Amino acid sequence: MRLSNDQSMLRSEFADDPDMAGIVALFIHELPQRLAAMHVALAAANHEQLRMLAHQLKGAAGGYGFPKLGEAAALIDQAVRVGNDDNVIRSRVGMLAAIAARIRP
Amino acid sequence: MTERSSTFPKVLAIDDSVLIHRLLQVRLQHEEIQLFGATRADTGIKMARELRPDVVLLDIELDLKGQGMDGFGVLQVFKDDPDLQDVSVIFISGQSTMEERVRALDMGASDFVAKPFEIVELQARVRSALRVQKLVRMLAQKAQVDGLTGLWNRTYFDRRLSQEVGEAVRHGRSLSLVMCDVDRFKKLNDERGHPFGDKVLERLARIFQTGRGSDIACRWGGEEFGIILPNTVGSEAIEVADRYRRVIEQEVWPSVPGMVITASFGVADVLVLPNTPTTEDLVLAADAALYQAKMNGRNRVEAAVAAHLPG
Repeated sequence: MRLSNDQSMLRSEFADDPDMAGIVALFIHELPQRLAAMHVALAAANHEQLRMLAHQLKGAAGGYGFPKLGEAAALIDQAVRVGNDDNVIRSRVGMLAAIAARIRP
Repeated sequence: MTERSSTFPKVLAIDDSVLIHRLLQVRLQHEEIQLFGATRADTGIKMARELRPDVVLLDIELDLKGQGMDGFGVLQVFKDDPDLQDVSVIFISGQSTMEERVRALDMGASDFVAKPFEIVELQARVRSALRVQKLVRMLAQKAQVDGLTGLWNRTYFDRRLSQEVGEAVRHGRSLSLVMCDVDRFKKLNDERGHPFGDKVLERLARIFQTGRGSDIACRWGGEEFGIILPNTVGSEAIEVADRYRRVIEQEVWPSVPGMVITASFGVADVLVLPNTPTTEDLVLAADAALYQAKMNGRNRVEAAVAAHLPG
């Protein structure tokens, strides 16, 4: 996984779809809050909450045109479910945040 | 999207993620459907009972918190509810195993879509489910309709009469039953052949369909018809039956010039029966009156009530 070294901009696959413009913008706008909630859950060792947040992102991100974000969320979901230790989970949340940081409207 | 044409079929999405609801709203906006959404199992079930949707999109991994029910649980509730068991359920799933998919299909789900959605596929699967749903509803109705006459069949008659008798008894309302039998039908069949007998039954069915909108005409069996008349007292029912009797008597049968076909009628009103009448009591009373009409010379209306007969 070399995702964190990639600094290129990420745009939604549906950026040019007028039907999608509104909800993609809302998705991008809300993304920092979702990440913050994941960090809070991680700090509180609330794994179930973290898993749920990652799970929802995993199911939806692809639909908003951000499949890489969905894949990164899936890795968190999986790490929590199989009971990986906090370091693994934390690094995966970090990877997700790195991808999110590259997203542009 | 709920303000869209109310004639469009209803699709209810049950998913705990608001992100998915937004996506569905946009991605299904050009389909000719009304889309509704619920984020919890309990509200989803409640909405399904109120809306009677044609298709339900159901998240298999529905969040359990405080509701004790995932997508399988919701599906089970649907299948146990006579009003909801025929609804087409499409499971939405992110990471289901093959075993889970098989379990869902065996429980009665009709299809699967994977998250993230392939949009065109999602739209096609919803359309496909709606087509199937239309056929299911048509079949359910067909199972209650008599093939020859197009009237309600015996199965429907039994169920509906029991429902109507229950209502009438509970609310002290009147309810009449008219039983009708074609006179000398066996002779007619023997002399003119069964296709002609069928024509007679079809013609009578059409006559019974010209009745009041609230009357429920059924083919009871063979050459016998049962007409359920809710909120109708015996004397009114006798008038209704006698009108039918006269129309039948005056029918012209082009293939047999000069032929007159008649029918006999028995009428019973639930209010004149003793105690708490059952469906069977009402049928027996109307049938006894019909027998009396036959004994008294046919082409007559007799009633299980002490009412004045017209004509």
